[in-house]
Amino acid sequence: MLVLSLCLAGICGAEQRDVEQKKLVEQKKQLYARVETLKQEQDYLVFQKTMSDSDSKYLIINFAARNMQLKYKNRVLKDVPFKRVLGRVSRLSHGALTLTQKIEGPRERNLLIFGQALVLQGKYAPSTLLEEGIPRVFLSRKDFLSVYYAIESGAMAFILL
Amino acid sequence: MRVMRKEKRETMDVGRGTRDVREEGRENIQSSCHPSIFLFFSCLRTAVAVFIVLVVVALSSPAWAEGPVPPTPIKVLSDEIQLLQQQVAQLEEENQGLMNMLRDMDDGELYLVVDTESNRLTMRQGNTVLMTAIVGSGSRQFLKEERGRSWYFESPLGSFTVLGKERNPVWIRPDWSYVEENMPIPSANDPDRFVRDVLGKYAVLLGNGYKIHGTKWKNLLGTHFTHGCVSLGDEDLEVVHTSVKNGTRVYIY
Repeated sequence: MLVLSLCLAGICGAEQRDVEQKKLVEQKKQLYARVETLKQEQDYLVFQKTMSDSDSKYLIINFAARNMQLKYKNRVLKDVPFKRVLGRVSRLSHGALTLTQKIEGPRERNLLIFGQALVLQGKYAPSTLLEEGIPRVFLSRKDFLSVYYAIESGAMAFILL
Repeated sequence: MRVMRKEKRETMDVGRGTRDVREEGRENIQSSCHPSIFLFFSCLRTAVAVFIVLVVVALSSPAWAEGPVPPTPIKVLSDEIQLLQQQVAQLEEENQGLMNMLRDMDDGELYLVVDTESNRLTMRQGNTVLMTAIVGSGSRQFLKEERGRSWYFESPLGSFTVLGKERNPVWIRPDWSYVEENMPIPSANDPDRFVRDVLGKYAVLLGNGYKIHGTKWKNLLGTHFTHGCVSLGDEDLEVVHTSVKNGTRVYIY
């Protein structure tokens, strides 16, 4: 009986350990997620700090808020709402991008190309330079032209998802 | 009872001698001990059997049979959590530091932004837009003089500071104004160069002769028609003139 009760006590203890372990695993998961969030937040803050010290205009492209800010140092120059988004936004990742190309197309069909990651445009303009499914953000024609002429190749953008 | 056991023992093989001795011992205990002790041993035997069965069942259960990664011991998990908590605390502290740094860089002052592409002026304070206005900016046209001089009328781009403010500004006609109208260029101090009531009631000075001022051609606001200055309607000009002070930043892009 004693051994049996010991065994039963052991089983109960194991169950408690299981519960505790599950709790700890869950806590660990939450902490991992928090660390990731804080790292992303830090990337953004470091980017802003770097750009505040630089002499270039840059973009903050916020997919969650569906808008974009043209900034210079720590000052907002222009708020630009998205008109439309095409392509696979899931391909994008949180972080900095570089404007690799400015293409002046016919009838204001200009493109701002950030590698194979993102395209900004006012009017639709097909390009053989771009992969299929590349995310494209459409802005109003006027807003896009303001942004187009405000930034140069090599300008930085930060993606917030 | 003893007789029966002995008979049974006689039928067993020689090779089972050990078992015989064990059984004999048990018989001695059973015969010589109190029945409660015998009961205790019976229970003990049952308990051991149950325990063995439980162990066998536990070991042969599918969870073990499939061979998953054994669960992380609680101690290891606790240590990992402690490390993560330290990491979180460190990141939070660093981020707070960065946020303070960025906040300190923002002086909270009002500033002007002129978008020469869409011909809009925006007065901002932090993320707040205080006013927007339609402006006129540089015509982006060339003017060439017969003598060889040329001018390109574009609003200056970049970051500027308000250097001064004027009421009832006087326009000192530059040479290009005479060239544009095919008029002879007078001397620098010729009274004909000093013109009133052309730049509106106010002017905000940006340096190198560039100003934010009023205009007589209000129907052209929203287009590129000036010689480089930024033109505003009367009401907007008054608001801008009243709001800015020397040192206010003006960003033209």
